[in-house]
Amino acid sequence: MNEAILVPIEMAVTWRYASGAAMERFCSGLMERRIEALRCGVCRRSYLPPRPICGNCHAPLSEWVSVADEGRLEAWTVLQVPMLDARTGDMREAPYGMGLIQLDGADTTINHYLAESDPARLSIGLRVRAVWRPEPRGAMDDIVHFEVLR
Amino acid sequence: MSEMNAPNGDRRPIFIVGVGETGPVAQDPRSIPEMVLAAVDKALADAGMGHDDIDAIVTASIDLFDGLTASNIAVTEVVGAVMKPETRIAADGLAAAIHAACELRSEAYQTVLVAAHGKASMSDFRSLTRWAMDPIHLQPLDADFLVCAGLQASAMAAADGGAQRRWAELAARRRSSAAPGGFAAALPAEAVLASPVVAAPLREAMCAPLGDGAAAVVLSVRPPAPGRRSVRLAGMGYDLEAHAIGDRELTRWEGLGRALRRACADAGITSEEAAIDLAEPSCLYPHEEELFRDACGIGGETVISPDGGLFGGTAPVVAGLSRLIAATRGLRGNARYRRALAHGAWGPAGQGQAVALLEAAD
Repeated sequence: MNEAILVPIEMAVTWRYASGAAMERFCSGLMERRIEALRCGVCRRSYLPPRPICGNCHAPLSEWVSVADEGRLEAWTVLQVPMLDARTGDMREAPYGMGLIQLDGADTTINHYLAESDPARLSIGLRVRAVWRPEPRGAMDDIVHFEVLR
Repeated sequence: MSEMNAPNGDRRPIFIVGVGETGPVAQDPRSIPEMVLAAVDKALADAGMGHDDIDAIVTASIDLFDGLTASNIAVTEVVGAVMKPETRIAADGLAAAIHAACELRSEAYQTVLVAAHGKASMSDFRSLTRWAMDPIHLQPLDADFLVCAGLQASAMAAADGGAQRRWAELAARRRSSAAPGGFAAALPAEAVLASPVVAAPLREAMCAPLGDGAAAVVLSVRPPAPGRRSVRLAGMGYDLEAHAIGDRELTRWEGLGRALRRACADAGITSEEAAIDLAEPSCLYPHEEELFRDACGIGGETVISPDGGLFGGTAPVVAGLSRLIAATRGLRGNARYRRALAHGAWGPAGQGQAVALLEAAD
């Protein structure tokens, strides 16, 4: 009989990520409730979140374009299980909605929470708008979630 | 157990046609993609190539160090791997280069880009190495890579009263050769001996400091453009020792000996007749350089780490690939050198060992 051995080991280790020049500007914009994407000069695709290189063309990205805080819901799901929020250590209680949102002016979608968690009231193609934190801090959770415009 | 690779037959030659690196520096403010992009751009420029010339990519990174599962996803775009075959190796960058060379040998590709990155400044690197140890026996004991290095050094120093001073002098010499290229200050041997003990008998200034870096190499079956001395990857080999250091003969790097013999067989020579003009070992501590010299049978006729090796500072994962770059530059820049050895090591107390034998192709 091979019994499991419980080895309780706890280590407090954190990682400090450099944001990179593109995400640094993106996050600075969030503090002013401004969303910016980087457009590829070759294929004209506007990337959100911004990144240094277009993966398709391998062209450096340097052309910033403004993006609205409204867009189209391209995919959605409603989670029925609670989730541990890695940033706060708190539980996010279920149910909660998550979506892929193509903001007006961007060619890629971003992930974010949805204010709506009733599957019957969600569908692809809905217009959604960012709900901002009262005092933005320069991070993705400056947007609390996206609300459906009805 | 065979120590031979497949018989050295009529194989396609492999050339090291482009090299590039950033750092090492104690702390690079750039993101990992930005660092890797800079290294890749340098390697491609050195090769006179663009991404269209690259058939496949091999990257080296370790999830635990990056705090990111599948840590290669951070660099997919900057290495040009979108819509191309990419393989990721979770070991030292020299092992990634060997994997790339195997891909070329298989005739799957003509030209392969290798890229490695490591950012020790991101986290508590030493603590992270504890998670690389056996979870039932060793993790509860707080064993980590530094502990293993101290145990290995201690085993070597037990019957060697002169070890401390000799290691201090070696570390001082290497740090002096590295400055100003590295980020470890040049120190006289007395200052190395006076530095704090970190894992007896190892002292702080004996240890290569770990920081941030990225490196990239282009390997190709096509020779480089005329006008520069071309460098051929003539032989390669690697080896793993037992993970448990208690299972090993700690005072020898037997795995390195086996890796070298494989590399020599691969190159069609015996290790006894392999005259090495330049050696670029991946040694983080002076006792490791003694293990290296002993395992490779390298004596005074071989120039070792003319630029200080890793002692001026290095980055995890990148170290072995940076040695391949140093050996390539050595052969390109010094007509007296005919053959060079690049070495990579990873895991606790050098569990993993890799050797690349490089030859000037003229």
